[in-house]
Amino acid sequence: MMRGLGELESVIMDRMWSYRRPASVRDVLEDLRRERQIAYTTVMTVMDKLHTKGLLTRELAGKAYIYRTVSTKEAYTADLMRESLARSGNQAATLVHFLERLTPEEAGALEAALQVFPPRGRG
Amino acid sequence: MTAVALTLYPLLAAFILPRVLGRAGWADRAPRLAITLWQAACASVVGSVLLAAFVLAVPPAVVGHGLAAFFAACTAWLTHGTGMTVATTGIAVTVAGAVVTRIAYRTAAVLVRARTERRRHAEVLARLGRHDERLGAIVVDYDERLAYCLPGRRASTVITTGALRSLSPEQVAAVLAHERAHLRGRHHLVVAGAEALATAFPRVPLFERARAELAGLVELLADDMAARRHPRVLIATALVGLATGRTPASALGAGGDTALARVRRMLRPETPLGRGQRLAGALTVGLLLGGPAVVALLPGLGSFLAHHCHELLAR
Repeated sequence: MMRGLGELESVIMDRMWSYRRPASVRDVLEDLRRERQIAYTTVMTVMDKLHTKGLLTRELAGKAYIYRTVSTKEAYTADLMRESLARSGNQAATLVHFLERLTPEEAGALEAALQVFPPRGRG
Repeated sequence: MTAVALTLYPLLAAFILPRVLGRAGWADRAPRLAITLWQAACASVVGSVLLAAFVLAVPPAVVGHGLAAFFAACTAWLTHGTGMTVATTGIAVTVAGAVVTRIAYRTAAVLVRARTERRRHAEVLARLGRHDERLGAIVVDYDERLAYCLPGRRASTVITTGALRSLSPEQVAAVLAHERAHLRGRHHLVVAGAEALATAFPRVPLFERARAELAGLVELLADDMAARRHPRVLIATALVGLATGRTPASALGAGGDTALARVRRMLRPETPLGRGQRLAGALTVGLLLGGPAVVALLPGLGSFLAHHCHELLAR
């Protein structure tokens, strides 16, 4: 049940991001109903939850709320990735990274180290 | 005497061991052994502090008479408060208790925090990424070249579309093999343990150095695991592919030393340690772990032998 709602959260967020304009629960519901059976209250609950989580803002327009995304998908992704890169605080206890950042000099040294190899093995 | 030795040893070891182990040139040829050595060194120092407290708290004669006598003495001490020098016992028990509590507390704090962060990250990831069955990884739409893993109960590997674009399929496979090696080897626990110890007792050279070294060594180990199935050159080129071509804005932190070392290492053929060197390493681990225990138990053992031999001779 929880997992189903979690999945619905990402589906609805994806829809909200794709509209690039504010939308009501009814708008999202109609969009979703083209692909699946879903109740108004379910969509309302999930969108309310997304509002609580700070992903959507809303304002009253007449009797219903109009929702909009807080940030673009790109900005949201950048936040997540930046967080995964921030090794400071809890170091790699959370994430083990493939590689730390490099300065241009270090990057140059790396490229030089590869020069001895034929380009065949290189991507 | 024993207590003095056991108290002096960790004090010296905390300063000398990081220098000795840090200079080990063979570490990148046998990262697993190097990891074990650093862990053994840390355990040795903590263990000898606890054993010193034990020796101070419990007179060797009591140990010598066997466990039953030891427990009897404990009971006597608890009920009558006699039988041992109360002052040293008090200090020893306090020190040991403080050390154990501090480590347990920091370990719990590090693990809980890591889990909370991972969970939050996974939740956002579920919203943004899509699971690629063929790769067996979560793909995130992002221009930067990035690959990492998210340990935990629902462990996953993550790779960005930027990384997928700049690497060949073979390189991607090698990178993901590296990440899976981290997950399978539970390297996050190695790093978390070192982190806990370093933050429990800050400014202890051994613990600080161990934290830094272990973080690098698990990367080498994961490279080695990936190299079992993928050509070393491919791993090296994938490393360079991921490490270069980044926008300056994202250049967080520093220290590409490990990256350079890793690439050069993958460009060289594998040079495993000889049998003699591996044996020496294993012996050192044994010495680090067993040494303090033997020193702590020697007087007790002597007392034990004296007591029982006396009995035997008296018959």
